[in-house]
Amino acid sequence: MVGLSLGEKHFIQGGIAQDLRCDGRKRLTYRPIYVETGIIPQANGSARVRMGATDVIASVKAELGRPSSLHPDKGKVSIHIDCSPTAEPSFEGRGGEELSSELSVALQLCLLGGKSGAGSGIDLRSLVVVEGKVCWDLYIDGLVVSSDGNLLDCLGAAIKAALSNTGIPRVQVTADPSSDEQPEVDISDEEFLQLDTSGIPVIVTLTKVGRHYIVDATGEEESQMSSAVSISVNRQGHICGITKRGGAGLDPSIILDMISVAKHVSEQLINKLDSEIAAAEAEEES
Amino acid sequence: MAGKAGTTPTTYSPSPTTKKTKAPLFKDDDVDWVRPDGRGFPQCRPAFFRSGAVNAASGSAYAEFGNTKVIVSVFGPRESKKAMMYSDVGRLNCNVSYTTFATPTRGQGSDHKEFTAMLHKALEGAIMMETFPKTTVDVFALVLESGGSDLPVVISCASLALADAGIMMYDLVAAVSVSCLGKNLVIDPILEEENCQDGSLMITCMPSRYEITQLTVTGDWSTPKINEGMQLCLDACAKLAKIMRSCLKAATDSQE
Repeated sequence: MVGLSLGEKHFIQGGIAQDLRCDGRKRLTYRPIYVETGIIPQANGSARVRMGATDVIASVKAELGRPSSLHPDKGKVSIHIDCSPTAEPSFEGRGGEELSSELSVALQLCLLGGKSGAGSGIDLRSLVVVEGKVCWDLYIDGLVVSSDGNLLDCLGAAIKAALSNTGIPRVQVTADPSSDEQPEVDISDEEFLQLDTSGIPVIVTLTKVGRHYIVDATGEEESQMSSAVSISVNRQGHICGITKRGGAGLDPSIILDMISVAKHVSEQLINKLDSEIAAAEAEEES
Repeated sequence: MAGKAGTTPTTYSPSPTTKKTKAPLFKDDDVDWVRPDGRGFPQCRPAFFRSGAVNAASGSAYAEFGNTKVIVSVFGPRESKKAMMYSDVGRLNCNVSYTTFATPTRGQGSDHKEFTAMLHKALEGAIMMETFPKTTVDVFALVLESGGSDLPVVISCASLALADAGIMMYDLVAAVSVSCLGKNLVIDPILEEENCQDGSLMITCMPSRYEITQLTVTGDWSTPKINEGMQLCLDACAKLAKIMRSCLKAATDSQE
């Protein structure tokens, strides 16, 4: 919880109304984004993303599993977020649970697409090794190390970076695929396949403070919000998911306006993020 | 008895030859398919509401949309738990659970955390929390039978139960979802349609105030499609709210 005096509250709200926020940004400007990749050697892919004082880590682990009977031609992806008490004392014990599950659900909604797999950032068909028998299960875990607002966007960016960094081992299937038995697989530890991450959307959260809305709100600004809409947009400009937080209702026309603003902002964000990821990958290799 | 093989066929054993394969709901690029229950694409299931289903609760409601059957009870406002800190506005506590027999595969009957959080978010904007300081209102929803569009039905039913309990609200909350299947937008999807949907959009709104309290979208949507889906939902919400209102009116009329 952020404790603010009445003066500070007015200062934040007034600044947003005049398009000059406390840290000198405009309403639709992001804080600088820093990306590091490959920070967890145990995982198949990992990344750390920082935006101002918000600091998150995402890791991707791939395990062989069985596809579900409903979708035999698709792999499985699950997202879980952890809020560490090191970020905020209120996350201790069960305090972080509510936020963790809220973030996990929002990310699943925004990144994994519909039930048939349409609109998913990750092509689930590419995760299948033997149809109906063996597939890759991707476990995406996020950790909030330090929290200063805009966690969802930051986690979305970290997951995108971690997936670009992910190498999935090449698998050799030895048994006859037509037989009923579970085929034997041989996992290579030298050859890795890269995931196609070009379709993964970015999440843009528009936080409504007073009559205006801002991107990349800090913790102090978030404490003044009436509602926030998170919109995930992919490179084609298609909407892959929307969630809303905060109690206040919104007029439908405002939501449509937010969608068009989010589409515009997401273009810049995707380009910025892609160049940061490429730079981080280059640094890791050198 | 089991040893006498080949005399009489055991009628109850499932024979592998009668295994039926279900035809897919619609083929790719097929625009003119028929929905399993014969409805048109922009046609909702008939809605049935009844308030005052549970005597012990301060307010309750039962809703039935096709095969989706939901019961919601509201308790309170009652004193917040001792461990809770002082608050000059009221608290809302929600819970959504499924019966073990609600789903095609037998469930655990446990709480549905996702829906619980969504129900809370959808309702909190509509309730006048400042009218019951220091106290908590409990909203417990039970899905008796899951037949698709469970969450929208739970939300609409819960707002009716809150109204039945006399909790002050700005407006009734009506919720409707649409599924995107291939090229078509299908309103109020049933379970089979939900299982093969490409995307879904759910809107909960206060129709008289024309305000959206909660909205979720998944899947791949272009902007014109979102527009179309939202408009479809908002229209349906307005009509649903009328049905809910008439149910409340009928309940008070019968009391007099």
